[in-house]
This record gives sequence, structure tokens and C-alpha cells, in this order.
Amino acid sequence: MLRPFEIHEPGTVEEASVLLAQFGFDAAIYAGGTELLLIMKEGLAHFPHLVNIKTIPGLDEIALSTEGDELQIGPLATHWELERSPTVKKHAPLFAEVESQVANTRVRAMGTIGGNLCFAEPHSDPATLLLAWGATLELSSADAQRQLPAADFTLGMFETARQPDEILTRIRLPLLSENTAGAYRKFSTHERPMATVAALLEVKDGMIEHARLAVGSVGPVPIRASEAEGLLRGQGAEEAAFSTAGELAASASDPIDDLHGSAEYKRHLVRVLTTQALEQAAKRAVGAVNEG
Amino acid sequence: MTAGIGHNVPRVDARSKVTGEALFTGDLKLAGLLHGKVLRSPYPHALIRRINTDRAALLPGVMTVLTSTDLQDIDPYYGHSIKDRPVLAIDRVRFVGEPLAAVAAQDEITAEQALSLIEVEYEDLPAATTLDEALSEAAPRLHETDTLRPGLFHGLGELHPQGNICYHHAISRGDLAEAFKQSEIIVEQEYTFPAVYQYAMEPHTVIAAWEGKSVTVWASCQHPYLVRAELADLFDMPVANVRIIVPFLGGGFGSKSYTKMEPITVGLARKAGRPVRIANRVDEAMVTTRRHNMRCWMRTGAQADGTLLARDVRFWMDTGAYADNGPRVVATAADAAPGPYRWKSFQIDAYCVYTNRPPAGSYRAFGATHLQWIGESQVDEIARQAGADPVEIRIRNLLRPGEEVRPGGKLLDADLVGDVQKIATALDWGSPKPPDTGRGIGVGLLAAGARPVSTAIVRMEIDGHATILVSSTEMGQGVRTVMSQLASQELALPIDHIKVPGGDTLITPYDRSTGASRSTTLAGMAVHRAAREIRHQLLEIASQAFEVAPGTIELRDGAAWHADQSLSYSELIQFHFGFTGGELIGRGEVSPGGGKGSYAEGPVFWEVCIGGAEVRLNRDTGRLHITRLVSVADVGQAVNPHLVEAQEMGASMQGLGNALFEEMVFDEGQILNGTLLDYHIPTTEDMPDQFISRLAENEDGPGPYGIKGAGEGALAGVPAAIVNALADIGVPVRELPITPERVWRALKDTEGERDDAWGPPSTP
Amino acid sequence: MRVEIPNGDDSPHLRINLKVNGQSVDTSIEPRELLLDFLRDRLGFTGAKRSCDVQVCGTCTVLLDGRPVSACCTLAYEARDRELLTIEGLAKGDELHPLQQSFVEQTALQCGFCTPGMILTAKSLLEEISHPTRQQIQRYLKGNLCRCTGYWNILVAVEQAARRLQPEGQSESPA
Repeated sequence: MLRPFEIHEPGTVEEASVLLAQFGFDAAIYAGGTELLLIMKEGLAHFPHLVNIKTIPGLDEIALSTEGDELQIGPLATHWELERSPTVKKHAPLFAEVESQVANTRVRAMGTIGGNLCFAEPHSDPATLLLAWGATLELSSADAQRQLPAADFTLGMFETARQPDEILTRIRLPLLSENTAGAYRKFSTHERPMATVAALLEVKDGMIEHARLAVGSVGPVPIRASEAEGLLRGQGAEEAAFSTAGELAASASDPIDDLHGSAEYKRHLVRVLTTQALEQAAKRAVGAVNEG
Repeated sequence: MTAGIGHNVPRVDARSKVTGEALFTGDLKLAGLLHGKVLRSPYPHALIRRINTDRAALLPGVMTVLTSTDLQDIDPYYGHSIKDRPVLAIDRVRFVGEPLAAVAAQDEITAEQALSLIEVEYEDLPAATTLDEALSEAAPRLHETDTLRPGLFHGLGELHPQGNICYHHAISRGDLAEAFKQSEIIVEQEYTFPAVYQYAMEPHTVIAAWEGKSVTVWASCQHPYLVRAELADLFDMPVANVRIIVPFLGGGFGSKSYTKMEPITVGLARKAGRPVRIANRVDEAMVTTRRHNMRCWMRTGAQADGTLLARDVRFWMDTGAYADNGPRVVATAADAAPGPYRWKSFQIDAYCVYTNRPPAGSYRAFGATHLQWIGESQVDEIARQAGADPVEIRIRNLLRPGEEVRPGGKLLDADLVGDVQKIATALDWGSPKPPDTGRGIGVGLLAAGARPVSTAIVRMEIDGHATILVSSTEMGQGVRTVMSQLASQELALPIDHIKVPGGDTLITPYDRSTGASRSTTLAGMAVHRAAREIRHQLLEIASQAFEVAPGTIELRDGAAWHADQSLSYSELIQFHFGFTGGELIGRGEVSPGGGKGSYAEGPVFWEVCIGGAEVRLNRDTGRLHITRLVSVADVGQAVNPHLVEAQEMGASMQGLGNALFEEMVFDEGQILNGTLLDYHIPTTEDMPDQFISRLAENEDGPGPYGIKGAGEGALAGVPAAIVNALADIGVPVRELPITPERVWRALKDTEGERDDAWGPPSTP
Repeated sequence: MRVEIPNGDDSPHLRINLKVNGQSVDTSIEPRELLLDFLRDRLGFTGAKRSCDVQVCGTCTVLLDGRPVSACCTLAYEARDRELLTIEGLAKGDELHPLQQSFVEQTALQCGFCTPGMILTAKSLLEEISHPTRQQIQRYLKGNLCRCTGYWNILVAVEQAARRLQPEGQSESPA
């Protein structure tokens, strides 16, 4: 049983934002509730007001932009839906693949992508992928709207750039070019992952044109491994120095010692997972080109 | 149909469990039921300077607040081994999580809020939160050990507590120094075993309701009669004034053995004057009981050809702040320490140590799980040094049936060689292995059965249906099904004419406990004997009815037959009473008795703990994947083979968890992984690729039809098998669990120095 | 954190309609009520159990519009205008659902505490994938813990139920 609270049911983003502004720290956005109710049950936080944004129509839509160049995902899309959405599977199969690995079946059925990102739990699978992907997040308040790169959104453990009266209203994933492919590797010993790596490679004429790498779960926030990305640019996709890139990613990562494992071991895992993710991404990218 | 022994009849409780009808303690409703919550210590060791409950008591909805001062009219100490534990902390707390007050309120949230309004002033004391700290000279003493009193059921000799050591158990045979002198191979090493959480999925739940001077307790407890005795002793009342009713248990595995949350609930209900329920949360269950962590030193000596000669073992088990079942765990571990081999000499010194950690007690296959992987890894190391095959070296050294296992104990009653061969066959022992793949076997013995005191009553009603009154607790193992089958066999009665309600001390007669793999053997024998009494009565009545000698009558399908004439049991009972009412009553009992080959010799039987594993190592991450897991249930005769195999698989999976990842992590006595988010138990994704469970049925047990108990052994056998499989790939294990990180570190350590990486330092 | 003394009556109530096991329920709830408490304490459906309380173990699984959710971490409010299925609603009178029947036959349960949640999750799986591979079953049921069985018989029971629900060779439902 939880301590008493009131649920508000705004009909529009503006109404929700006004409510959030009005109640300030006494309010929380309620979406899937999978993370929020956990901390409320544990007594780690209490909010006398929950603003249920599920009463706002349209926030769960998954669609291609009118220009057809990006996938636009409403924050209320659940992991369950993203994992199964034909649109996501067709235009961003890697994203669907990662969504299918979030927590367990029940959490995916209730939990939303928006809630996952806004909660900024350090072991978030989608946060790591979206960082590598270069996704953009749309934040709206009653009188303003801004677009924020995923890289600027997660600031720390359970901390994001979202202002108290702002609502994450859209997640925008630019479609990957035909010769880009990615891979996601995850290593878990507990309920939540110990280390995760997302890699995207753009390959042209057998050469890596562009590499994007993100490392998650090992520290407070996912990070980009830019040095490793730089190293790979211009290398042959099938014989690139993936293990060196793994080492660079490992040294770029800033793991912490915790119950999952020591920082030293996590750094080792980052090296292994990065190498594996890059190899798989390269194989997929080359395959895609060959098929195309 | 009659479904006697050997039949795979569906569980008698299966239907109610798949429909949600099966009731567990937490599903029960009582008029006026209050919800109890427990205030627990945040300190590992502190004096309680002051407790102020005034504000909590004033919170609307709070009915009562209980502290130790409310229990001054009784002797508030309990503990079945050692009476060292107050119902609620008195003046001092000894572990993080120790109950020091309890609240009964109209609902749980009010009770929880009331807890936060209780003001406690503590004075921090130096704490001994690890074995090393507790055993050091300067260690703070947890208890005044000279004044400790033995509990009602310690079942051991003199306890001789000293310092923080609450019990010392020693066994020895032969001239140790001489045996080591003859040893050409000596293996010696130190090992560590972690604290482990049983995780019965239903956390401890208790309801207590007083009526005048009697109390009824619905409890998720394994041993209703032992709980009854302790409650009667605590609250100073006749045992008959305490009624314990046991609904279905959502798992036990030892975590619900002996007395746990019952005293606080009964005390709280007594003060509240209303029924009270206390339902532990998982984090509370974790500080209620756990498996002992342990430090062990072992040395094994053998001839150059691998013939085992000598073993010397010393180990220290951390029983936490209160003894709970620690002394028995230590004694059972000592019995398991030599392993199932023929020795010239062995010496075991085992210590049960108080620390400022949550109490440790029973967990399935205790003692054997602690020691077997250690002993078996030394046997494999000796095999390696002797250039012998691990299966072959075992067959050469294993005890044969009838040989002495430990001085003064029951002689071996199992075919260990046959069991090892079954495992080897299932593992395709000797066939080529894929790269980075290893195979291992672990075999051992567990002293099983506990005290052999059980009674049962079988009632045959006027319609010929039977009800079995037996106090064994159904906690998943299938005891109600097994008892039904045993009665079905003896009574020649269809199984759906037999009912086995749960334990209720007002109605079902005395049974010592449900644990130590004892129920099928002992309570089963009592049921068998009770059913046999009814069988005799039926034959007697039938002989009068048919006017023939009893020897010419056959009981079949719920009727007595003489040639082609038959009378149903119902007709026989009506004939007997000359009325359409009446019933037959049969009673059965088991007691130690005297002499050899009886239940007088401990243990009741030796449970075989055996497992085999094939593992694949990922050298990049250190992760192990179990490609094949094998166990053998050496059961004498299986009452229900499917049930035995299913239980073995469950035990194997717990063994896999114990071996690979389960560990309660403490820092300064505070548990760091107190939820299932951080304490990982095996999931479907941790399953072995091949999962094999075999039976050995040699009719060599002390139960009816040569039955002996099962269900624990694989939990000890599997970790030993996994450890040996990993050593087979060249990775030594001296600490459980074998986490990927530990394997990775071991791999790093062995790189380039493989030769001396394993080989523990041999002493001349 | 200091816990304030709540004012017993300030908690607002909401009227909700929902269907539980095919029956309409029209009742008033507090927003803070958890679905598990609502089902167990208010409606008397005790098949869903409380264990880990953090959405890991799955003993509290119920199907909300056909999807498995953790009732321990879901508000009763969520069920407004939706359909809930608990284990009590699975059998048709005396006739067990094929999953229930297979769990009985395969000894796919022991203590039975996880069984209601396990069966409901498996139901959701089989509705989506009529003949799952063993690996698919393992992945789908990963969030339903069982401490007794070692899972083997559960997998066997789910496979058997799949065959009974839709004999092999008949058209697959769209995954």
C-alpha cells in the first residue's frame, strides 16, 4: 500500500505542464509507473500529485515522419509495443531488438520508453542505444518546445535535462542509411545489466565511413566512446581494429565498483562487448550492402 | 484406481494449485484481523538506551505497540538449539534487522507509519560482523556464553559455548599423523562459502488469534509440533493450549524450519487482544534466516596411485547473532566432511560462531552443500596428480554398503559406486569434449532423517473413504500425494477416496518435523502402519461377514473379496457397527527403538548427494554455461518417480544458483543486496541445455518397501560437480559462488603460470 | 525521511468500472491502491501472490487486456475500463484450460506459489506465438521465478499445452 496521493488527468500537454508547474516537487509524471511506483513503495520518494499523461491523446503513437526520414515515437509507447511494432521492426530493427531485451515481459508490457528515459536509471538499455543512434528528444511545456540531442538529455544517475514543467513528447530517430547497421551487446548477472554497448557502423565500399559507439550500465550515465569512433573511421569494415576500438572504449568508460562487479572487470567487459558489437555491426552492414 | 507406490499419479494438490484455490497463510481472512509490522535494528551491535512508543501508539488506526517490556511476565528467550534469543531485543541489538518492537494496526500502511514514529536511542557498540572479527582475541562478545541455556531440541551433546563459539563438534578416527606420513600426494587449501538466501517464494507469514488462555496460530512453518512446544514454553502454557495450523507453504527449503516469526506474532496478538497477521517482506525474510557462510581449511592425503588415506578438516560457520539451527548445521557438515570414502584416518574440527549478522539456520542439504565441493575438488586434484581418472579413483575409494561412514553411526546403506556409474553414463564420461568444456562429478553423503519420531492416524469413514491425519507439511515436495499413495497401496483403495488435509496440531498427531528428507521414510512409515491397522480390521470384519478365515480374503479396489463374493469397505463398516454410521481408526508410530539396524542408530539413513555437470567456459567474459546437469536420486524405491525426479531437478537448480551466483553480500553487517533486483536466483535463462534426473532403486532404505528420502542431495552434488568441471578446464575454485568475474580473475592469474596455479602448497 | 501522520480521510476516491474474469465490477478505489491488494483484499482473488514486490519474481502476474503485468507495482486505477484475467478466471467451470491441465500432468508445479503467475504468462505467450521454441519460452518466462521445479517440467508443460491448443500443422496465429 502506498501513502495517499491524487491523480490528475490532463487532456493536453499544456494542461499537464501547468499542473506540473503548479505542484512543483510535489508532483510526478505518471506513465507506465514501473519505476515510479517502485520508489514510492520503497518510501524513497513520495509525490502527493501524480499527473497521468496517458489521458493525453496521441502520445503513444509510433510513426514515420511525413518526410520519411525519421521514426517518431511517442513517449507513452511501451517497450512491448516497440518490440512488436511493424513500423519499428521495418525502419529500426535494432531498436526493436533492444526493446525486446528490456527487463522482463511484464515490465515491458507496462513500462514506457518515455518513462524509461526520463527516469534515467543507469542501466537503461534504450538510453544507451539512443545515445549511439543520435536520437533527438522533444520536450514540451505549456508555452515552449525544444529539441535536445539524447547526449544532452541524461545528466546523471536519475537526473535529466527535463525541467519540472516539461514533458518528453517525442523521441526522434533519424532513419539509418542503407549502408548503416548496428548491434547491441549486453552482459548481465543480475536483474539489471552490468555492461551494455551499442555500436552503429556506416560502411561504404567496404570502408567504415562513420562509427558510433555508446557504453552503458557501467557507470552513472551512458557515454559515447568518441576516440574509438575516430579510430575506426576509414578502416576496412572486415578487418578494422575492433579490439583496439574496444580498448579505447574501455578506457573512455568510467565504471564504478558495485554489487554487479568491480570497475576493473566492467572495463574489461566493455572491451569485450565493444569488440563483439562492432564485429556484428560490421557483418550486418556489409551484409546489408551485399544484399542491396 | 488404486495408485500405490511406483505410480506417476498426478499430485493430489495440483488441481487446486493451478486454479488458485490452494490457500496459503497469507490468503486467509479472519474477522477483526490486524496487520503487524516489525521495527528492526539499523545497527549490527548497539545498546538500546531508550524506546519511546508514545507517538506511534497515538497514531489513528494503531491498536498496540509491543516491546520487550510487555513480555516481562514470561521468560522471553527461545531457540531450539540454544535459548539465546529474546522475542524482541532486550537492552541490546545484535544484528541489522533484529526485531525490537512491533505494531499492530488496522492496515499495513498505518503499521508502517507507526514504526517510523517509534523513537529509539541507541549506543553503538563495537561489532564483529565477520568470522575473522568474531574469532579475534579482541572481539566483542555477543552473548554471555557461560550462562547460555540449551534449547528444547538441540539434539546434540554438551554444547560448551565459549567466547563467540557457540558450539564445537569434533570427529576423528585413526592415527592422523601416521596416515599423512604415508601420503605421497597431499592437497591442502583454504576455501570460502558464502551466505545464501533460501528464497522460499512465500515469505514467512503468521496469524495468531487468542481465545482466553489458548492461542491458534496459522503459520507458514515446516515443523508445527516444534513451534508449538517452543510457544508453549515461551508463553508458559500447556502444549494443548497452542494450536498450530499449517496451510500450504510457498516453499520451505529449511527457511521455515523451527520457530521464526511466530513468537512476535503471538506476543503482539496477546497484547492487542485481537488476531494479528505478520507477513515478512523479502528483505525481512532475508534477515530472518539464511544459509551459513563458512571458512574452511582442508588437507587430504593419498598414495601415489590415488588411494585415499587421510583427511584433516577445520571449518568455522557463521551462525549470526543467534544460534538458530547452527549447531546442528555444523554437526551435519562435520558428518559430510570426510566424504564417502574409506580412510585410514580423518579428523574434523567444526565450529559454530556468533557474529553480528542475521541468524543462519537450515537450508536444504545443509552441511553437505558446504563441504562436499571442497572435499570433492581435493579428490579430483589427487586424481590429477596421480594421473588417474576421477571416476575410476572414486570407484576405487568409495565406501561399499555396510561399511562405516562415521564412528558410531549407521553403516552405509547405499550403492555409491552404482550411483557414480549412472552419473558417468549420463555425462558420456570419457567421450571427447568440445573446446573449453569440462566435466565433473561430485558425490557425498548427508546425514538425513532427524529424530525418528512420527505418528499418524488413518480414519476410514462409513462410505469407505479414508482421511490421513499426519502432520507433515506440504511445502511443494508432494508429501500429501506420497501419503495418499502409501495409504492407497496398503488399503487397496482408489487414490481419489483418500484425503490428506494439512497439519493441525489439534487434530493431526505428533510428527517431529518436515525436513531432513524424512517425511516419506518416517511419517510415511507411520501412515503405512496406521493403514495396515485398518487393513487388519477390514480383514477381520470381512472374515466375520463372509464367515471364512481372514487369510482367504483379498482386499482390492475398495472392497473385500472372497472368491467371487465381495463387500465394499462401506458395507463392511456398516456390518461392523450394525448401523449406517461409524468409522475405523488406525494408528501408526515410529520411534527410535533399540538395537542395530533400527531407527536408534543415527542417522535414519545416509542420503546420497550426487551430481554431474558439463560446463562450457567463455574465456572472454568468464561466464560459465551449463550444457548438461545430471543427478541421481538414490531413493530405495520411488513412491512416485515423477515427483522424485522433479524434486531432484529443483534441488539441482538451487545447487546451480549456489555454485554460480547466489551470495548475500554484507558490509559492516548490513546486507547490500536485500531485494530480488540485486539477489539473483536462477531463471529460465540459467537452465542447463540438458537436464537429466535418474533414479536408483535398490530397496535399501529404512522406510516402508525399502524407501528412503530424497530431494536434498542434488543441491550438494551439483556445486561439487560444477567446481570439478571447471577445474577440468584448468580453473581452480576456492570460493563460491563462481561468478564470471571470479573466473575471469582466475583465468588472468593462471595465464602463463598454469603449472603451479592449481597444485595447492603440499607439505612434506 | 520523516513520515507524516496521514489524515485518514483526505485520500480521494475514484469510481471505476472494469471486468474481472469476465464479470463487471463497479467500485470505488483510492488512487494509491495497488492492483494486487485490490484483487486480493477487496475482490478476494488470492491466486495472485506477493513475493519479491519489485516486479522480478512474477508471482503477482495477472493479465491486463491480455498482457501480463505485475499487480504488485500496478495501480488498481490502471484497470479502469479494462479487462483483467486472474488465475481464478482461467478454467471454464470444471474444465481446466489446456495450460492448467498440462501443468497438472507434467508435475510442472511443486509448492504452487509461482504457478498462477507462471500459467498466465505462458497463456500470453501462447496467444502470441502458438508454437514457441524452447528458447522463446525461456525468454518469455524469464521474469517468472520458480524456486521448486528447476523449470524443466514447466517448459515441457507449456509445449504440451501449445500442441493441445493448436495441433501442429494448423495455421500459426500472427506473431
